[in-house]
Amino acid sequence: MKDNTSNIWIGGMDLTNDPEFIEISQKEFAEPTNLVEDLGNEEVAASMGGNRRDFLKFLGFGLGAATVAAGCDIPVKRAIPYVVKPDSIVPGVASYYSSTYVSGGESLPILVKTREGRPIKIEGNVSSNITNGGTSARAQASVLSLYDTSRFTTPKIKSSGGWAASNWADIDKAVSAALALAKGVRVVTNTVLSPTAKAAMSEFTDKFGGSVVTYDPVSSAAILDANEQSFGDRVIPNYSFDKADVIVSFGADFLGTWISPVEYAAQWAKGRKIKDIKNPTMSRHIQVESGMSLTGSNADNRIMVRPSEMGAAIAYLANKIVGGVSAPALNADAKTALDKIATELSAARGKSLVVSGSNNVSEQILVNAINNTLGNLGTTVNFTHASLQRQGSEKELTQLVSDINSGNVDVVIFNQCNPVYDFAGAEKLKTALANVKTKVSFAVSNDETTDMCDIIAPTNHSLESWGDVEAKRGQFSIIQPTISNLFDTRQYEQSLLTWAGSENLDTKADQPYFDYVKANWKKTAFASQSKFSSFQSFWDSVLQDGVYEGSGSGSTPSFSGNVSSAASGISKPSSSEVEIAFYESVTQGNGQFANNPWLLEMPDPITRTSWGNYLAVPVNFDGVRTFVGYNDLVDGDLVDVTIGAKTVRVPVVQQFGQMPGTVSLALGFGREFGLKGDSVGVNVNDVLTVGSDGNTNYYNTNAAITNKVGEEESFSCVQYHHTMGVKAEEKGTGDIINADEAATVFFDYFTGVKGFQGSLTERSIIYNSTIKDLKENVEVLVGKRAHAQHLNAQQIYNGFDDSYEMGHHWGMNVDLNSCTGCGACTIACMSENNVPVVGKREVSRHHEMTWLRIDRYYYGDAKNPNVVYQPMMCQHCDNAPCENVCPVNATNHSTEGLNQMTYNRCIGTRYCANNCPYKVRRFNWLDYTTADLFPANQPSLAGEEVPYGADNLTRMVLNPDVTVRARGVIEKCSFCVQRLQSGKLTAKIEGRRLRDNDVSSACMTACPTGAITFGDLNNKKGELVKKNTSPLSYLVLEEVNVRPSVTYTMKVNNRDTSFDA
Amino acid sequence: MLVMFSFSLHAEVSPEAGKTVFKNYCASCHNKNMVSDMTGPALAGLSERWDSEEDLYAWIRNSQAMIFEIGHPRALELWNQYKPSVMTPFPNLTDDEIASTLLYINGVAEGTFGAKLVDVTNGGGSPTEESSNGWLYALLLGILGLLAVLLAKIINNLDVLAAAKEGKDIQQRTVMQSLTSKGVVGFLIFGLVVLAGYTTVTNATNLGRQQGYQPDQPIKFSHETHAGINKIDCQYCHDGARRSKHSVIPAANTCMNCHKAIKVGSEYGTAELTKIYASIGFNPSTDKYMKNYEDISTEEYKEIFSKWIEDQYLVETGLAEIDGEGKNIVRLQWDEIVSSLTNEQKKKVQGPIEWTRVHNLPDHVYFNHAQHVTVGGVACEDCHGAVDKMEVVQQHSPLSMGWCINCHRKTEVKFKENEYYESYSQYHEDLKSGAKDKITVADIGGLECQKCHY
Repeated sequence: MKDNTSNIWIGGMDLTNDPEFIEISQKEFAEPTNLVEDLGNEEVAASMGGNRRDFLKFLGFGLGAATVAAGCDIPVKRAIPYVVKPDSIVPGVASYYSSTYVSGGESLPILVKTREGRPIKIEGNVSSNITNGGTSARAQASVLSLYDTSRFTTPKIKSSGGWAASNWADIDKAVSAALALAKGVRVVTNTVLSPTAKAAMSEFTDKFGGSVVTYDPVSSAAILDANEQSFGDRVIPNYSFDKADVIVSFGADFLGTWISPVEYAAQWAKGRKIKDIKNPTMSRHIQVESGMSLTGSNADNRIMVRPSEMGAAIAYLANKIVGGVSAPALNADAKTALDKIATELSAARGKSLVVSGSNNVSEQILVNAINNTLGNLGTTVNFTHASLQRQGSEKELTQLVSDINSGNVDVVIFNQCNPVYDFAGAEKLKTALANVKTKVSFAVSNDETTDMCDIIAPTNHSLESWGDVEAKRGQFSIIQPTISNLFDTRQYEQSLLTWAGSENLDTKADQPYFDYVKANWKKTAFASQSKFSSFQSFWDSVLQDGVYEGSGSGSTPSFSGNVSSAASGISKPSSSEVEIAFYESVTQGNGQFANNPWLLEMPDPITRTSWGNYLAVPVNFDGVRTFVGYNDLVDGDLVDVTIGAKTVRVPVVQQFGQMPGTVSLALGFGREFGLKGDSVGVNVNDVLTVGSDGNTNYYNTNAAITNKVGEEESFSCVQYHHTMGVKAEEKGTGDIINADEAATVFFDYFTGVKGFQGSLTERSIIYNSTIKDLKENVEVLVGKRAHAQHLNAQQIYNGFDDSYEMGHHWGMNVDLNSCTGCGACTIACMSENNVPVVGKREVSRHHEMTWLRIDRYYYGDAKNPNVVYQPMMCQHCDNAPCENVCPVNATNHSTEGLNQMTYNRCIGTRYCANNCPYKVRRFNWLDYTTADLFPANQPSLAGEEVPYGADNLTRMVLNPDVTVRARGVIEKCSFCVQRLQSGKLTAKIEGRRLRDNDVSSACMTACPTGAITFGDLNNKKGELVKKNTSPLSYLVLEEVNVRPSVTYTMKVNNRDTSFDA
Repeated sequence: MLVMFSFSLHAEVSPEAGKTVFKNYCASCHNKNMVSDMTGPALAGLSERWDSEEDLYAWIRNSQAMIFEIGHPRALELWNQYKPSVMTPFPNLTDDEIASTLLYINGVAEGTFGAKLVDVTNGGGSPTEESSNGWLYALLLGILGLLAVLLAKIINNLDVLAAAKEGKDIQQRTVMQSLTSKGVVGFLIFGLVVLAGYTTVTNATNLGRQQGYQPDQPIKFSHETHAGINKIDCQYCHDGARRSKHSVIPAANTCMNCHKAIKVGSEYGTAELTKIYASIGFNPSTDKYMKNYEDISTEEYKEIFSKWIEDQYLVETGLAEIDGEGKNIVRLQWDEIVSSLTNEQKKKVQGPIEWTRVHNLPDHVYFNHAQHVTVGGVACEDCHGAVDKMEVVQQHSPLSMGWCINCHRKTEVKFKENEYYESYSQYHEDLKSGAKDKITVADIGGLECQKCHY
């Protein structure tokens, strides 16, 4: 019998039974030293130190306040109807509009949920052929950035005294005057996906003889360059991860951040589904990288190479497959593994896929050569519907700098991009910009680049804009506004057209740019179709669907790259002691989301850290007992990292799977004008180096790390928070027991009773198997479940099982095999359920409020582990231990199987949280929602002046159907009961039975891979019941007999264990 | 009393019916309290002032005929007192309706409409019965008290005797000592705490509840006129009730559906309706909506609507030119428009009308009108009361949780009519077999927390 539950761990402390960690995990709540201390207001904190007199004072004040509150009249409330009610709005009923989320080259077709005319939630658009309704955490969070208090509210002009608010007439006059005299004009932008915006830009540049400078915050220029040389087409190919049996990725984080992660994750998950248990098949996924990326964590095998060895690794594989490539030195383990991979790849000709995140043109040409030799062109690498999602090149920026320095540029216009922050040559650009006469920015809120500009012409948020997106050739989606402009802003396209004096823009029209978009569509897409005869009906249909499928031009070209010259251009391995790799984080991109508290608080899927970037250092088993971090560093230590000429002080996090001799640090933090950005991480874009091909290298071989120089004050890593089922060595006996059930064992000591409620040490949190051992492991699982069920049948309390013979019984299925850990569901949950953001300090005190967390467990080989992600939310137990400990019955059970939490009844004893085996209940320690009558105990997120959420603008994002919880109450996942009730109501009004698609939880709709299925367990023909009957499915902690309603499936990987040797 | 009794035996004649007639036809001129004059005279003692009932009935049906054609002395007396006003003729009123009205008028005037009449319908039970009960209770309480004192005395005596027997000398306590003893004082304090606790809890429970709340509204909108007399369906204006959680306060353009044509109100003339026009930017003089009305200056706006009010005054009075009183009316009405449609936040007359919300639920309560109106088939008046009889809307129900819960316990679900409920298979069998005769909201989980709190 294989014991697959014993070799699973959260982090080093767990693996080594660290006494400190075990002590923490035994408590439901990390010990709150003093709740009010350091709330950002030292005076208040000092005065609340607390003695008897203070207590009496507060008591007196409390009584007085209560009396005053009781004596007051009930405030008069107003009901303000429309003057003229729009037909499309019924107050209290949500309207959905199709639109598209766009941020530079990132885009996702979405549906925007609006209530009374204000957008409150993003859902995926299932009509899209690219995403099929999937979303990302960033897209989910984009609705919050609409209500960002730091947005520009008016256009501004810089005068001697700094910025001064201006108006559009003055702005137009000033810009036109500058343009009229300008020698050279440049528009700097990230990738523009909109064909209409491109038309507008070219009208502008044609008029002034200028040009557009396109670059991407994290560059993929090498792929574009390589594809131009290899295929004569400067474009990202249309990859099909679902059609590949063997996927090899050289550092491309295609499930997390690389080019189109939502699309790729859905494809990847398709290949990972086990359709037939008896004869299981699944794709092989091998990741070659130094630090653990989201994609690497999901891979079957990881091959560790130093960042500078990446070229050598690609060349080595190319030599094996294509031949004639001389590869530089490479570590022996990688060589052995790559030999095996070469065999696997050759066996899967036409059904394999090799991708690389490298930004070296030669390396990308070698990757093209490999795919070509493997016959993947036309199967997994296509050029029909080729991706347009990255179009930029930092070489254009370098060119801009030299153009400016030679005095050829008078006007630079920055379109929502921030090169002064995210460009490797930022210092040179900064110096050069000082010599440009007029600098204009379209930024939505202030950033490093905009700060240097003379004129700010703020553009709309994309939820206020008209537009279109062509993410892949021939696959369009529409951007339509869901709210009128909140501030005095104007779409940048309209600004450009106005300044160009375009004849195609009717400035007197109600919505000039809308007409322009329509005119462009009439000219292009409408003209090339034959289904609709009138443009209006065509346009209406496109607008309703949100997406439009045109023809995807492009046939499969033949490979014409020069392999031997490419082999000489690859990066050379370095022999330095430490190499540092820089990566784009899933939450922050390269700093584009620095104003978004939802994303700042979302933990990084791998390191589990939030509010900043943390240096991931490798860990090493000391051969005796503990895992030692590089330089003996432990989690939360501060170190000075010297990279090239710059030294930054960063906190450390020990990272399994990090290659010895390398460290990793995320890009995108330390933004100056973000949400108090200076306290959220450090900026390392300025230490990026540029390769000989002119492209940015996302690693540095010239790095040195000091020993511990201090400790991070608020180490906001949630890795060990809310853990369950931690093992520990019992003092005295030396037996392995469950740390969090130490109390139970102690009880045994008195009674002499042992071994009730199933096994104590083998807790069923995660089941995993390799595909080869699947049959065996399924038998084990079935056996264990039968044993647990047998024991459970002996107990005397029957729970609520009998109550669900009719009506509904809500349940969920989470497919651990499809879950990539991307976190879209966690943000969707925050957005749907008004979950508060608590800030860095509160996170460090285990006070994060997320209803849905994604637990990350390592398993397998400690040196090079696999990872399983487990979305964990309230399990809505039918025999719930939280319910019977509540003294006021604030949490109880419904006939539909919901574990109901009633906030207005809760008195905050926290007994329920204490008794929850899944640790999913969250307590409002402080006034996180700033909803209390008396403003006190409101924590600051990162030192901002007004507590986050205390302003009416941010509050517009709240879901009006969900109570905003006050301080002192428990809250937790409700299975999105508001959505269930609304789905039921729809069915009732239509007088029909409930259908599967009437109800869905927010996490389910957000998921890009369909890992979460929600439904009615009483609907025996439904999707949920079908999934639950899979022999892979199990209940977490089934042996404790709480009868959860959430079913998980066994994590299956396709690891080749011979790699581990 | 006897007359009233005999009347009430008659099936159609009742003071309740009279009240309806009075409210519909008489109340606009005659004071509801019956003892003071309004446009018309006070109606108390009406029957005594007319010699014959027949003449009174004829007067009510057609007063002008009584004055100018018959010349009845009482009619002439009234004419001299109230000319040039005449009473509106009501030729369609039946004898029963008039009798009911008179019954109601007398009832109100004598203060007997209400309590006394309830006695009549109860079969004329003795009015002393209620107080005799109280008296009995008091007597019982007295006897019990006396018994308690006696028993205490006896116990005390026995204690003294027992003590004497053992040779101890115990001073018998005086009454004063007994009253100030620890036991009694303790009991009193206990009683006080219980009373205080009870009062506190009751008051605290009622905090935030406002049954009977009847605030003034910026426009004297009469539900009685609209829903009662003109029988406009509730959901014509409150069109959210069938499809949304909110019933929806109608937008001003909903008002305009009718009031584009009906420009002078039956009760307030131009005073109230002009507010709607000012809110939405409709010029009643030209029958046109004003373009960009939000940008029109207050002075210009005042001119437009003052002219309208003035014109209507001239039409009403038949004057050729505005007189002092007319000018006064125009000024007063405009001032009223400004004060009703503006406040500290909203400085302009133009724009939405800010009504005062009558029905307020706490933020942690989710209520959905569509669920109740469309699915449950609950009638509006079940919760909102007889809005069609409310001149000014007031909160009819307590809107407390107990009130909700009680209704959910009693109310039957439309179980067989709605296909949705087919999933409740067991209940359908129970209904068939007769194990259950109805399915209430509570049966399908209507008492659970998360039906309303999430």
